[in-house]
Amino acid sequence: MNIRDWPVFVAAPLALFAPAAHATAYLSVEQAQQAIFPGANLSPAPVSLSGEQKRAIEDKSGVSVRARDQKIWRVSGGRSGAGWFILDEVIGKHEFITYAVGLNANGAVRGVEILEYREAYGYQVRDAGWRGQFVGKTAADPLKLDADIRNVSGATLSCRHVTDGIKRLLALYEVVLK
Amino acid sequence: MSTRRARPLLGTLFEISVANDRSSDSFEAAFGAAERVHRLMSAHDPESDVSKINRAKPGDRVAVDPWTYQVLASACGFARSTGGLFDPCVAPLLQDAAFLPRFAEPCADGWGDYRHLELLGHCTVRARCPLQITLDGIAKGFAVDKATEALRESGAEAGVVNAGGDLRAFGPTPEPVYVRDPAAPGRFFFVGQLCEGALATSAPYFSRTEHEGRQASHIFHPKKGSALLREASASVVARDCMTADALAKAVLLDARRMEPVLARHHARAIVLGPETECA
Repeated sequence: MNIRDWPVFVAAPLALFAPAAHATAYLSVEQAQQAIFPGANLSPAPVSLSGEQKRAIEDKSGVSVRARDQKIWRVSGGRSGAGWFILDEVIGKHEFITYAVGLNANGAVRGVEILEYREAYGYQVRDAGWRGQFVGKTAADPLKLDADIRNVSGATLSCRHVTDGIKRLLALYEVVLK
Repeated sequence: MSTRRARPLLGTLFEISVANDRSSDSFEAAFGAAERVHRLMSAHDPESDVSKINRAKPGDRVAVDPWTYQVLASACGFARSTGGLFDPCVAPLLQDAAFLPRFAEPCADGWGDYRHLELLGHCTVRARCPLQITLDGIAKGFAVDKATEALRESGAEAGVVNAGGDLRAFGPTPEPVYVRDPAAPGRFFFVGQLCEGALATSAPYFSRTEHEGRQASHIFHPKKGSALLREASASVVARDCMTADALAKAVLLDARRMEPVLARHHARAIVLGPETECA
């Protein structure tokens, strides 16, 4: 067996990092606008939903509307043609995601980009016995609040809230923008 | 400096990080590969290849995309080498617990397993008895590999692709990698530096739920039919992410039995949490 056949994986003393919150900023609003609609002009066209519109969106999408005010931009020019850029947020049990959806003039999804992802837990230490062997063995500097941690492997986090959010925005297009 | 982008794909946050400021074309190529895997292999989409196979009658020949065929062949290979601890035909258990939709008629005589799925060559498959497949336990890893390939082809020299925890690093710089604490997923263990390789983790902590009064998670023992509920995780380091993804499930269910299998695939595992049987 040739050692070069293996991914290089240097075993290290296990250190436990316990960030209170963990956040990643991917794109600014302007960068997301340019990523979905390169070279286009975007003009703010915010919408404040009436009670009737809110109910219509909830009926169509099956997703509840938390915020009446929706940040929307009207798109013109550029290679992509006309459309809409909608900024939105979803909140899960442990995560808070800011994302943007670009719609073509006919309401078809042109692109989705995550702008920011934040994760927070209010956890208790249970079953500390087996974990005791790791804790305190190395200098486990608690990372600072909102620390930017990369390369975390874990069970897959569901993106269901974003999927539901997109459903809600497509209904908003039908009710308000179309 | 590196640039990071993320999109919701394959049911998770699909993140791409590339060293230096790459043109948006690199990202488009990589996300494009992941989107293709999503379209072909989602069990939630009635138009996917997976749903086509699940709707077909036993004996029907089903033509699929070359990528789907490749993943099916790998899935059946892992099913054989793990003695069925990884099985793409575990879908009926996930459907019964409402983790996956079922587009097929119910089956009274029991569903088949991987041994009943025939790979006929020329991107054609056939079920020998009623069966339901899911590629959720392997397609994410394959998508990570394809996105990595696309980044490399577009000229990126180093980076990391991370599909909600199934990750692959490429390029000359070792990347520090962390594994979530299965008992408190907001805590991370630093487990080492990864260079030109993949790491994937399987654990029930984000999927534990109650269905019709019974505790469930998305990890089922394909033979016992029971859901895994303990606060444990299995992470596998391998050369490619598809191998790491598939083997992580089998290691979580029976780490000791998988030792020779890991060695055969040049893979290693990190298991955290108590060793107990499935519920």
